[in-house]
Amino acid sequence: MLSSLWEQTINLTLFVILLRMMPPILLGALGGLMTDRAGVINIGIEGLMLVSAFTSVAAGSATGSWIIGMAAGVLAAMIVSYAMAFFSLKMNVDIIVTGFAVNIFGAGITVLMMSILYDSHGSYVPENPVSIPNVVIPFLDQIPFIGKLLSGHNLMVWVSILAVVFCYYLLYHTPYGTHLRATGEEPGAARSLGIPVVRIQYSALVWSGFFAGLAGSYLSMGMTSMFVRDMTAGTGFLALAVVIFGNRNPFGILAGSAVFALATAMTMIIETTPGNVIPSQFIKMVPYIVTIVALVVYAIRKHRKTLFT
Amino acid sequence: MNQRSAVYLDLLGILLAIVAALVIGIFVIFLVSDEPVAALQALLIEPFTTLFSFGSILNRMIPLVFTGLAIVVVFQSGVFSMGAEGQLYIGALTGALVAVYLPEMSPWIHIPLVVLASLIGGALYGFLPGVLKAYFKADEIVSTLMFNFIATLFVSYLLNYVFKAPDSGGFARLPFVQESAKLGPIFDGFPTHAGFLLALLAALAVYLLLYKTKTGYELRTVGKNPLFAEYGGIKPKKVLILSIAISGALAGLGGTVEVIGLHGTLKDNFSAGLGFDGIIVSLLARNHPIAVLLSAFFYAYLQVGGQIMQANSDVPRDLAIIIQALLVIFVSSQAIFAYLKQRKLMSSRGGERVAK
Amino acid sequence: MADLLEMRNIHKVYPNGTKANQGVSFSVRQGEIHALVGENGAGKSTLMKILFGLESPTEGDIFYRGDKVVLKSPKDAIKYEIGMVHQHFMLVPSFTVAQNIVLGSEPTKGVLSDHQKAIAETQRLIQEFGLKVDPNAKVENISVGLKQRVEILKVLYRGARLIILDEPTAVLTPQETDELFQSLKKLVSQGYTIIFITHKLNEVMEISDRITVLRAGKTISTLITSETSKEEISRLMVGRDVLLRVEKQPAKPKETVLSLDEVSYVSETGKQVLNDISFQVRAGEIFGIAGVEGNGQTELIEVITGFRKNFKGRITFLSQDLAGKSIEEIRNIGIGHIPEDRQTRGACLTSSIKENLILDLYRDKSFRRGLFLNQKKINEHADKLIQEFDIRTQSRDTLAGALSGGNIQKIVVAREISKNPKLLIAAQPTRGVDIGSIEFIHKEIVKKRDEGAAVLLVSAELSEVMSLSDRIGVLYNGELAVILENSESLTEEEIGFYMLGVKKQEKRASAT
Repeated sequence: MLSSLWEQTINLTLFVILLRMMPPILLGALGGLMTDRAGVINIGIEGLMLVSAFTSVAAGSATGSWIIGMAAGVLAAMIVSYAMAFFSLKMNVDIIVTGFAVNIFGAGITVLMMSILYDSHGSYVPENPVSIPNVVIPFLDQIPFIGKLLSGHNLMVWVSILAVVFCYYLLYHTPYGTHLRATGEEPGAARSLGIPVVRIQYSALVWSGFFAGLAGSYLSMGMTSMFVRDMTAGTGFLALAVVIFGNRNPFGILAGSAVFALATAMTMIIETTPGNVIPSQFIKMVPYIVTIVALVVYAIRKHRKTLFT
Repeated sequence: MNQRSAVYLDLLGILLAIVAALVIGIFVIFLVSDEPVAALQALLIEPFTTLFSFGSILNRMIPLVFTGLAIVVVFQSGVFSMGAEGQLYIGALTGALVAVYLPEMSPWIHIPLVVLASLIGGALYGFLPGVLKAYFKADEIVSTLMFNFIATLFVSYLLNYVFKAPDSGGFARLPFVQESAKLGPIFDGFPTHAGFLLALLAALAVYLLLYKTKTGYELRTVGKNPLFAEYGGIKPKKVLILSIAISGALAGLGGTVEVIGLHGTLKDNFSAGLGFDGIIVSLLARNHPIAVLLSAFFYAYLQVGGQIMQANSDVPRDLAIIIQALLVIFVSSQAIFAYLKQRKLMSSRGGERVAK
Repeated sequence: MADLLEMRNIHKVYPNGTKANQGVSFSVRQGEIHALVGENGAGKSTLMKILFGLESPTEGDIFYRGDKVVLKSPKDAIKYEIGMVHQHFMLVPSFTVAQNIVLGSEPTKGVLSDHQKAIAETQRLIQEFGLKVDPNAKVENISVGLKQRVEILKVLYRGARLIILDEPTAVLTPQETDELFQSLKKLVSQGYTIIFITHKLNEVMEISDRITVLRAGKTISTLITSETSKEEISRLMVGRDVLLRVEKQPAKPKETVLSLDEVSYVSETGKQVLNDISFQVRAGEIFGIAGVEGNGQTELIEVITGFRKNFKGRITFLSQDLAGKSIEEIRNIGIGHIPEDRQTRGACLTSSIKENLILDLYRDKSFRRGLFLNQKKINEHADKLIQEFDIRTQSRDTLAGALSGGNIQKIVVAREISKNPKLLIAAQPTRGVDIGSIEFIHKEIVKKRDEGAAVLLVSAELSEVMSLSDRIGVLYNGELAVILENSESLTEEEIGFYMLGVKKQEKRASAT
């Protein structure tokens, strides 16, 4: 059993599954990151992902174009996240409650639409599915080890990794990103320098819609080719944990997503291995426990800082 | 403005929110349905037309009352715990173990033992994030969310590998509970089980605890103004841990009541979000324990109505979920409530000015 | 020299009717350091807020370089090269010094921020003005003095030529203050103009060219520093307000109730906020602490009442050592405490009056019946206090927040006095309260004294301290500058000298 895990590690199957599992966690976490750094943490990533996943597969299969599907999904998630911003920033609904409501809303509206459009309550498998393509790198894919390492992954794998770099530059190397971080950390200071705090928080929530939208598209048009009710299955919350785990910065989040995806990948391999004895629940549990540990460690570190300065 | 008129304004606002959410729901029904009248009738009226469906509402309501109360206790204490779901699983586990593995005995002994076990299990599971927050400043929102996953997975592990009933096949569960640990129907022929009475009792107990005891005064004072509480000699850390432990005990009892009242055993993933539903119930009830009975009833009514609507018309029950989401948002729109109160204040102040 | 700025006949009336400025006129010349002095509430902050565009005047005009200007927001102020260093720093802790300085108007290279240029600009400013600080250090890791430099650099980076400093030395150590003054002098030599708000007359004499004194929202006088003295400024600042007359008999002090021996306290930021403080308060007397706010009053009360631990020295209450006692224990042994801030600490505005009144008593066994609180007794208690303390309300169930400031304060006073404390600590007991309530609260405090309680009164209102106290201690810069017997012959002027650091009694001489 362990040997089979080892075997799959050597022949890179584990790595390939890891990369398949990573984009939704990573993109969701980047969405969470943008809001967290702006001081309006969005716990509704889960709901936004569902909205996009359903919209993507519906629009994609209807038009036969994955690009239109993805655009529709991302747009839908951005609209919902804009509404979130309206309610939390304008109507003073607590941001946690807003995120919470979006999670319920996402679960409800997707199934409602599914049953209205496709007369199904559980899942929708389009007759002519479209998918976000895999990227096969010519020549490279012929080379035994490197081919499997780099070629044949879904486009969204690369997009999500690029998104990390994008977020890094956006947050740390543009005035906008600096203003966003200042807004999250010291809104009073930001305001005193003429930074439009509320507008920045609006934009942060819409960013989270954008990234969660990409994540959702991948769920229904990349990882699978269908929509299943509640198909996010906690990925949005996992993404939130990754934000904490990754110490609230893009590259930390990349590492965190890899760890969480690894746990998922190992679970999958173990569950499908005959004669398996390790309960998959424990492997699934590890990321959550580690997140709690990280939460405590960061909190202590921060506490010390405020004590000694 | 005194407390009473503030309460009336709140009530008015909540009613408006409910009406607004329902109106949007009805609008959607007319939009998507070929038989909107039938759908509406199924959603809003039919839950009350048969004894069975009414009983189902009450059965649905029971766990919601418990998790709603669990959230009431933490929210009133100013703690943002989202951990009812996990505490519910752990309480259901400890309660179920006592219900299944203790020998048959008098129900008058067995059921209290089960209840006690679930209270302790849930409380301990609430204690953990409480301590992390009080002594390490670990944000309770994130930690309790994580603890939820851990609890669900842990219980799932035990059900699949340690205590799995031999005859349970693909859907892992414990063996069935002893007859002496079961909560029967309230009276013969009525579908609602005696957990309903426990839920009423729990609401009363939480009400008394919060509003009539020393501990309740401490909890509420810390929740309203921690600096004032500290100045009065109340220890905020103690209150934080206590509130989340009490919350855990209530959620845990809610889980166990499902086990010994509804399912007769502990099933893998049996809750599917009851702990989160508790947040909605509590928000609708403005965190008041007695109002939780009403909001849990309303919530359960929407769910049962949604089911009947799905069975009897072309509108799926998920419409009810959307109405719930809208309700949460509308009821929490502080801006609207602040506006209502401002107007009320203005009008009363205006009166004073004229008098001068 | 021509006037750079003139504020002419400025009035400011807040919506609640407070008249903060009533015809202030004030002008600043190019290249001077102009000190703006006045007691708490004299209207300095309001005037500067108007100048920085944070408030708009009800009446009056502002002229900049001879032209009339309208300042609607800080942006306008910045446009006219006016910058302000706030008393509370407006910095982002996790950002570097350079990032904080350029925040909001970052240099860019295409769409990206130009970090190199930001650092270079910062370096240039540091060089030019001699304000040494590491541009790459994180603000959370630097000292308070350096943080203030960053604030000044921020203002300079935005091109300010006229810089307002709001009580800049309040948080600084003496060395840091010296360094600040060096920098200010350098700035002025380069043609910058500075408005310096302060209470500390030593500093005024050391640093300023001219001084404008405000009192009760009006300009009293503008003086040339070299032609005046601390005594004169002090006399101008401390007004001859009508003394609030409080009917009281001479005190008959008995045993010592509260005793502080060489109490010192260092704040979280490392500042020595209390230095070697010793005094006693006896039963049957009111001991008043006078002083400009921010000289250690808050910390003094907080170490006595148990909010701050880790002080040095001894605090004894009726022969019990208070060190290490919790807030609850201190409240239970017979100390009543009217805190300085009723909004956040003294009362819970979202609770009913009766719940505010049982803050201690809910622990009392006599207020319980079995497991539960005795509602009947709580109600009776509330009704009794509402009656006795003349709290104007519809019912005991009214939310405290719905009452006027005076009535909220009466709730606090009622609660703390009705517990029959052996020591009553009253901090700013009548701040923001109407005249009627002030009289009432003063009477209650005197009554408590006559019943044999020891009273420690802390107030920024000198007239309040003088009309109530039997003995007066003056806090200046964390030290007890003097302890005086209150008598007809004691003048506000005399106390003013100690409050503003003009005079200081030799150590120990007065420790009763």
